[in-house]
Amino acid sequence: MFDFPIFEMPTIGLRMLMAINAIIHVFVSHGGAVGGSVVLALAAWWTNKKNDLAGYETVYRLLMVFFIITTSVGALTGIGMWIHANIISPNAIGGLIRVFFWKWFIEWIVFNFEVILLLFWFMSWKPKAESAEGRTKSVKFGIYYALSSWVTMLIITAILGFMLTPNFDGQPWIDPEVYPGVVNYNNALFNPTWIPGLAFRTFSSIAFAAALAIMWTWLITSFSSDAKIRETKERMIRFFAKIMLITVPIGAALGYFYLLQIPEAARAMIPTAMMTRAFADKMELMYTIISAIGGTVVLTTIIAYFSPKRMPYIAATLMVAAFMLFWGYEERTREFIRKPFLIYNYMYANGIRVTDVPYLNKVGILKHAVFVDEDKKVLKEDKSNLIDVGHTIAQIECRACHTENGINGLKFLTKGWSEEAIRNRINNLPGGGTPYMPPFTGTEAEKDALAAYIASLNKRGEIK
Amino acid sequence: MNWKLPFDIPLVVPTMGLPGWFFDTLGIIVFVVHIAFIYTLIGASTASVLYNITGVFKKSKTDDLLAYKMTNPTTISENMGALWGVAPLLVISVLYTGFFYTAILKVSPHILHIIYGNIFAFLLSYAYKFSWHSLHNHKGFHIAIGLVAVLTFYTLPPVFMSMSNLYLQPELFASVKNIWDIMLTPLTFFRLINFFLTAFAFTGIVMIYLGVKWVKAGGEDAEAGRLAIDQGKKWFMWAAPVNIAVLPLVFFAFSPRISEAYIHTPFVFLPFAASAVLLILFFFLLKRFTKEEFSLSDATKAMVLMVVAVALMATARHGIRVVSFAEPLQLQAEATEKYMSDVITEYKAHKEEMKNAPAVVLDPAVSLADSKGCLACHSVDTKLVGPAYKDVAAKGESADILIASIKNGSTGKWGETPMPPQTVTDEEAKTLIEWVLKQK
Repeated sequence: MFDFPIFEMPTIGLRMLMAINAIIHVFVSHGGAVGGSVVLALAAWWTNKKNDLAGYETVYRLLMVFFIITTSVGALTGIGMWIHANIISPNAIGGLIRVFFWKWFIEWIVFNFEVILLLFWFMSWKPKAESAEGRTKSVKFGIYYALSSWVTMLIITAILGFMLTPNFDGQPWIDPEVYPGVVNYNNALFNPTWIPGLAFRTFSSIAFAAALAIMWTWLITSFSSDAKIRETKERMIRFFAKIMLITVPIGAALGYFYLLQIPEAARAMIPTAMMTRAFADKMELMYTIISAIGGTVVLTTIIAYFSPKRMPYIAATLMVAAFMLFWGYEERTREFIRKPFLIYNYMYANGIRVTDVPYLNKVGILKHAVFVDEDKKVLKEDKSNLIDVGHTIAQIECRACHTENGINGLKFLTKGWSEEAIRNRINNLPGGGTPYMPPFTGTEAEKDALAAYIASLNKRGEIK
Repeated sequence: MNWKLPFDIPLVVPTMGLPGWFFDTLGIIVFVVHIAFIYTLIGASTASVLYNITGVFKKSKTDDLLAYKMTNPTTISENMGALWGVAPLLVISVLYTGFFYTAILKVSPHILHIIYGNIFAFLLSYAYKFSWHSLHNHKGFHIAIGLVAVLTFYTLPPVFMSMSNLYLQPELFASVKNIWDIMLTPLTFFRLINFFLTAFAFTGIVMIYLGVKWVKAGGEDAEAGRLAIDQGKKWFMWAAPVNIAVLPLVFFAFSPRISEAYIHTPFVFLPFAASAVLLILFFFLLKRFTKEEFSLSDATKAMVLMVVAVALMATARHGIRVVSFAEPLQLQAEATEKYMSDVITEYKAHKEEMKNAPAVVLDPAVSLADSKGCLACHSVDTKLVGPAYKDVAAKGESADILIASIKNGSTGKWGETPMPPQTVTDEEAKTLIEWVLKQK
């Protein structure tokens, strides 16, 4: 971390910057691409089998919406994940690519199938819709598209699983005492949360996509000028509700199974992850939130299934909103419970490798900070640049999660604290109060500088 | 030279035993495919708006049809262009990790424009395409949507090229502070001219090729096809001459260390070779300039020549990497080896120390205080955020008051900073207070 140039995101912080991109990506990739491909391929197959041409046309209109959103927002936020990760933690993403290069390359090849099949399916839909053989062919493209979409998820969940549980069956993926690090690629790939995570994501994505399809079907059919399209509303919504009736319970069961695979220490952090530290012990509140989200999904699914025609639009949006909340929470929780690590037991959340800590504690975190100007990293004899040096340390070690005075700002977190109190707090970062924080890395003198800098944040503008 | 380089990632590069030239070739091929799509995207989206405008002013249905037909290559090339952009970056980021990531960080946050700006342009280009018929009587508005999409696409290459120019010249890591320091350089300027001219020339050939296909299809499409062939020739012949002159200059606009070394490698002939191919293609089209018909085999020949020129440019660009990276990669490898050897020595010593350290037996109350986060603000001997426990014990308040303070929070007793209410059971609070009161 220290050896790369520093980019700070003021006010919203790097975490939020990443989260915005990540949440959008999860919505679109899960709801639009992976789940959407399955749901739309099923709908196309079903309407074609029933010879329901109006329904088939409704599916095309749905596909247009999904096509526009997935190929623009979905695809680019996917690349965005990489660029954002790069800005926040180049050592982490660099390491992940060294470990998963070939898997990523295979995923990219599969992406080609996915994009080409989607382009082909969508752009050749109209000419092929005119004959029965054409439609049968077209449906096949949809099915292949759904398969390739799923394979891309297969690979990316391995990487997500690796970050949380990098070792297979207790066998390490790397020996930290060897340079250059020889990776055991199989242990990294077949990590314990890969398959459970994949299974859970597959079914919840299909359920989410069905909810999105219900919402869009509602809009498309209600406002269509074509009476035949308007009539498809009832049967299409009921069809998608049926998909939800099957996938929601399976998804929930697999979610619980996935939860069981997560290491104890990480699981203990779930309530904090879902809300904030203040809720660390409030399990009931967590269950209330989960039940509210789950209840909304179940209730709206029942409405959609039993009275698709009279289903109010608000129920359809509530259904989608519940899923969005669910995915938002799921992603936040999954990212959070990994703390204080970014790659479990290998790299801390601020990008510092666990092996590097003893050495950096001896020589200082700033010694190898090549991109930092001398006057901001070497303490002058009169200590006149103490605060600047401290600022640099904060930029290196704290900026991944904290801002200066915005979201999770150091200024507000230490309001009313004396410099000595801050100094002592730095000594005890991963302690009981904040088990998700990595330890301070660096020399005692650097600790002084960091404390002086943080203390200075609440002293700014004071009349001396 | 003032080198500022990050360390390498301390994990082996997963080459699977494949030789370096395999990755070089792979990188060049995927880049050529990517850039071919991007050239088409820039050109086709421009053509679509251009002929939409001329269609309105000339009241020409053919122009309008050509404009509409150009939205299809736009859609395909924007999707495929983005997708094939990932592959070269993947190869580069695994081989030259430090340089690539440093460059991205140096041009942040502006580099995010290639994500968010791209999404904006993508959505507008879809809006432009799918509203073609419904906005037929509102051409001004429709053209405005297309124009904003095209202009947004135009803003992406300068951003991306700044990053690429920086990563190709690691000696600039020490001096470049932000994106403008690298964007406003002769190199980026030359490369952008080269990029846009090649994009228009390339699209000219694509239009000829598509035009030939449309003519074959017959009917209404044939008219648009003939227009596409006619315009395609002109696009190429306007764009190519300046490009032929600019192209070789690009490779002398890199930093002196790179440009001087580049002259002494065989790579230096490649930009000239690319220019020569473009020149041949120019005369090839000139010969067929006045003829209305264009055969498919001639269109294919033109396409092959164009792709060869692009491949030569890409290989010439790869030459820059070869010349530029040899020295910094060596320096980086040495520095990383030294650093990691120090790290591992210290890590082993630390592990040994931990093994021999006597196990600390903690009072259960201390563990409880730690797990409840008390020790974040309190310590036994010194005042932190809250008072020291020995001071609390010395003050002599009753256990019940103190338990209430833990459970409900408290302020004013030790200054204005409040202690928030803590989530503990009565039993836990009692254990904690009994322990605190012992700390006199």
